[in-house]
Amino acid sequence: MVEELLIKNGVVYDPINGVKGEKKDICIRDGKIVEEVKNPKVIDAEGRVVMPGGVDIHAHIAGGKVNSGRLFRPEDGRKGIEPKTKVCRAQSGYSVPNTFATGYRYARMGYTFVMEPAMPPIAARHTHEELIDTPILDNAALPLIDNNWMTMEYVKSGDIDLLAAYIAWMIKATKGYGVKIVNPGGTEAWAWAKNCELNDAVPYFDVTPAEIVKSLAEANERFEMPHSIHVHGNMLGHPGNYVVTMKTFDLVKGTKPYRDRPVLHGTHTQFHSYGGTTWGDFESQAKAIAEYINSNEHASIDIGSVILGDTTTMTADGPMEYSLYQITGRKWTNHDVELETGTGITPFLYSGKVSVHTIQWAIGQELALLIKDPWKVALTTDHPNAGPFIGYPILISMLMNKRRRDESAEEMHSAIFDRAELPSIDREYDFYEIAIITRAMAAKTLGLAEHGKGHLGVGADGDVAIYDITPEERDDAGKIQKAFLNAKYTIKGGEIVVKDGEVVAAPQGKTFFVTPECDEKLMDEMMAKLKDTFEHYYSVSFANYPVQDAYVPNPYEIRAPWRS
Amino acid sequence: MQQISLKLKEEVMKGVAKIPIVVDSLTPDKLFGKSESEIKAEKVWWGNRQENTGDLFEVEVDGEAGSASEVKIVLDGDLSRVKYIGAGMTAGEIEANGDVDMHCGAMMRGGKITVHGNADCWAGREMHGGELLIEGDAGANLCAMYRGEITGMTGGKVVVEGDAGECVGQYMAGGEILIKGNVDILAGLNMKGGRITIEGNAVMPGADMTGGEIIVKGKVEDMIPSFRFVEVSTLDGAQYRKYSGDLAMTEKQAKGLLYVRA
Amino acid sequence: MVEITDVVCPLCGCVCDDIVVEVEDNRVTKVRGACAVGKSKLMGHGRIKSPAIRENGALKECSYDEAIKKAAEILAAARRPLLYGWSSTVCEATKVGVELAEEIGAVIDNTASVCHGPSVLAIQDVGLPSCTLGEVKNRASLIIYWGSNPTSAHGNHMKRYSYISKGYFLPGGKKDRKLVVVDVRETKTAKMADKFLRVEPGKDYLVFSALRAILYGNEDVVPDEVGGVSKNDLLEVASMMKETQFGIIFFGMGVTHSRGRHNNIVNAIQTTRAAHTHTKFNIMPMRGHYNVAGFNQVCTWETGFPFAVDLSLGYPWYNPGETSSTDLLIRRECDAALLIATDPGAHFPGESIRHLANIPVIQIDPFANPTTEFADVVIPTAISGVESEGSIYRMDNIPLRLRKLVDTEYMSDEAVMERILEEVRAIKAKEGE
Repeated sequence: MVEELLIKNGVVYDPINGVKGEKKDICIRDGKIVEEVKNPKVIDAEGRVVMPGGVDIHAHIAGGKVNSGRLFRPEDGRKGIEPKTKVCRAQSGYSVPNTFATGYRYARMGYTFVMEPAMPPIAARHTHEELIDTPILDNAALPLIDNNWMTMEYVKSGDIDLLAAYIAWMIKATKGYGVKIVNPGGTEAWAWAKNCELNDAVPYFDVTPAEIVKSLAEANERFEMPHSIHVHGNMLGHPGNYVVTMKTFDLVKGTKPYRDRPVLHGTHTQFHSYGGTTWGDFESQAKAIAEYINSNEHASIDIGSVILGDTTTMTADGPMEYSLYQITGRKWTNHDVELETGTGITPFLYSGKVSVHTIQWAIGQELALLIKDPWKVALTTDHPNAGPFIGYPILISMLMNKRRRDESAEEMHSAIFDRAELPSIDREYDFYEIAIITRAMAAKTLGLAEHGKGHLGVGADGDVAIYDITPEERDDAGKIQKAFLNAKYTIKGGEIVVKDGEVVAAPQGKTFFVTPECDEKLMDEMMAKLKDTFEHYYSVSFANYPVQDAYVPNPYEIRAPWRS
Repeated sequence: MQQISLKLKEEVMKGVAKIPIVVDSLTPDKLFGKSESEIKAEKVWWGNRQENTGDLFEVEVDGEAGSASEVKIVLDGDLSRVKYIGAGMTAGEIEANGDVDMHCGAMMRGGKITVHGNADCWAGREMHGGELLIEGDAGANLCAMYRGEITGMTGGKVVVEGDAGECVGQYMAGGEILIKGNVDILAGLNMKGGRITIEGNAVMPGADMTGGEIIVKGKVEDMIPSFRFVEVSTLDGAQYRKYSGDLAMTEKQAKGLLYVRA
Repeated sequence: MVEITDVVCPLCGCVCDDIVVEVEDNRVTKVRGACAVGKSKLMGHGRIKSPAIRENGALKECSYDEAIKKAAEILAAARRPLLYGWSSTVCEATKVGVELAEEIGAVIDNTASVCHGPSVLAIQDVGLPSCTLGEVKNRASLIIYWGSNPTSAHGNHMKRYSYISKGYFLPGGKKDRKLVVVDVRETKTAKMADKFLRVEPGKDYLVFSALRAILYGNEDVVPDEVGGVSKNDLLEVASMMKETQFGIIFFGMGVTHSRGRHNNIVNAIQTTRAAHTHTKFNIMPMRGHYNVAGFNQVCTWETGFPFAVDLSLGYPWYNPGETSSTDLLIRRECDAALLIATDPGAHFPGESIRHLANIPVIQIDPFANPTTEFADVVIPTAISGVESEGSIYRMDNIPLRLRKLVDTEYMSDEAVMERILEEVRAIKAKEGE
């Protein structure tokens, strides 16, 4: 690795430090951004756009369901084949790429951090093994803690402190980063082939999803957690669900976050912004959701925007995946996970000829364009649910260019003109705002900015993306798409990993995880119940459950003390 | 008209191991316009190493071609480990003098392949058009899909003079297959379009079909129990029992037709 | 004497992880909680003493270094090498195996090709509605074993996870559950069943199709007898399936290897999906070896495909029937083979073994087996789960970590593989010069 690096003549967009397209030198030494360097290798950016390395707040890239997706789709595997090179392992896959392709392709897009958003706790080792095999990217994973029996039991009894002890133990045991919630209550009900709406009682456990969300938000804020609860709400994918979405966000309006960040992050909100009552009168309600986000400060979102084409849906929302398979008749994998969560996986083809898909395609972009403050928005496709991450450059070009949106709309179903807002929106993102929604916002919302991610201030990680485009070319949608797909340079921890769109080095990334700190007596009380659960109901023993150090060879620990 | 003769050298298949050669780069489309020396320099994979075609085959070019459709490739020698003959071709002709290995005619779109011998598994895989004639037997998965896909053959015409292995035309969506001999289990599995005619016998034909037609002129062993008898039908002057199925795929989806000689 | 608790058993797909072991003088002297075969594995038995290279027909002892170098020479020179086995070693070794296969342009494959490969093919056709074993324990009031006899092959399965276990919603254990067994003969498991269906060999496919038609409300088309099973019995079992709150089908070699093979499993899964239109229903393959699933997991995330991966072109090509070991060997395609943590002599068709005997073979295993009789290089290794730790995946894909119980002088599988890869790279670098 080169010790000192100087990037000169770049036009820098560093939103966290308020840098809005200034010509500025970036200096790196020993992997960190520094004020100045003495004898550096020099990269002349020649007026190109320079941003911090991309930070993806939500993409399913590692773990049991991702691998089930790969395993059952050899027909996806045989797309995107690239032979091995001196630096790179062989690559395969399009919507479910192999782990090597995942790392290389993200790096080529200038990304240097990805959050795996849904880790079944009992299978956390699997997620970590895959992250180890994902080159270049720094990473973290969010354990699912909402359909867990002990969560529901503490929610029922109202013991928020004990619930906090439980989530602390879970996050530690799984080397996880925070609290993930997916179809709360509903995935437990799915183990009986049932589902739950926001105020339905979960069979046997007799708590509602609303109570689960509220309690987990409170438990999360017992600690100095870097991230808020991360929520995939109930009724995902159902026409009319936008009402549920706003009700879900409302649940935690009164909960105080430990510092200046949202108390809830609503994920892949496109899937939760549906109007109408059936697929027949289906329409976009992104406007309502955007208005809600505009007038509230306690929630952030990521868009989960659709990329047209074939993809693979995979979530812990078992019942939703089942209904999707019932609609399409395609292959379907399900995996109920004892005492904790579940999984559903089925392929899906988003077609511009279908009215519903066209409206879905519009909704994701509408959210980004109608929400005024880009600091509340992250760009995602809920990879691979709404589309593969390799489609991000298409979205970037759409958000930056109305003409491109209009041209695309012409090729799609006419429903976009009367059941969606997109054609009537003129707004265009600029590079600064794109930098916010593809890196700065995520770093801030995840609490990673102070740990070196998502910005180029002194002390930050030397993670830089140089895109082959200048600010003057901001109206060239085709060039934007091309530029963001294959970076001119990607620098990771001060090392050049991508040059002219090719991977030239593949170092291993670090895994960030959080260690919540909890009162011992509280922990002991929770542990007694936990051990009893293991003894009687789990099929693995307590001692074999926590993730061993061997699974996190490059750890970065963030402590989360109990708030006094 | 141009004829390109490729004769596999004997020593290639003489070893303890019979290592396959992949010849998807040796189609009329890809060789059209190439000189004899260029063809000899064309790379083909033999196991995990690339070799010059001229090192593995005796190459001879006769005549000229104005387009790929005027190119005929004739293959000789021990072709039992020569894979992907004619794969993806769109025009011209290939004649194989001997038994050929897997994926013969896979994904072809046009032109004609004649195998004077048997064809191993996956002949005509995912075929879109053209003609494939196998004078001997065909292995399993004739004109079938690739693992995981829900569409196999979409067009073209395939004739097998001998018998065919299991899963003929799995996930077929269009085109025609004629088997003059018998077929192994599950011919027409998951079929959704096109037609399969079997002059000999079949075992468990039409399972999970949702469209298309299967005609069995011989006997059926182990009829799938989820088919519904419709009526006695006449086809080309002969009587057939006509069934609709496969109701194991639900009534709504069972739009396939199976004719069994009465 | 040291007592080690929560030991993870390295034998079958049950991966019982509550075993208690006593270690004295660096030897396992007592095992509690394991079934007979698991206990035997943990206590250890006769093994290969030293690395060896065959010279003039006889194995001659040598150093690890010499054996590894010889192995690397063989593999680097091969035009169609095969790296096979993997199911009784840890994921860490498999990862090196995949890297080696990519480096030398080999086919990498595991015992799924002779075992549950058909199940994987079926999953690639229709998917797999399934669950973890703890779900069965806690919720399954109807348990069906189809073509599977757990009392013989998976000793603790019923006690830990299914029919005899006690669960959160089924505290009465057996009393709260019903057991159905479908098989070609009345096995020991069948004798325990509430309902046993004897199916004619090779006719399972027909029985599944019939059940599906019944579950979808089309029983009128089903004949009076299907595959040796009466329509009444089919109707009865279908009713049991519809009425349970949570049903599970466990299936084994009885259906993966009888006529229809992977299509039997497709049909079994389709039957599960038909049952799911009425109630919760899952299905699970009874994986044999303790880390057969682990190989499939690693191979899938690293190459995109679960087994039978041909990397000879520098990128993965997956096509069981073409790239699976038995087919490659029967067709005499391979010119060298590395066999690790497996016993092909026990599982492979005779024709495959005959070809193996004619090509250079490297064996990596703690134990001697029929393969040792003809292997050209023999490299004994540490017993995973006893002498070395590592990552594995249970039959329901739960990841666990094997423990190290005693010390050893033997190299681990992972270490041997790393060294072979290193030597192969050195050979190739030299060739490049």
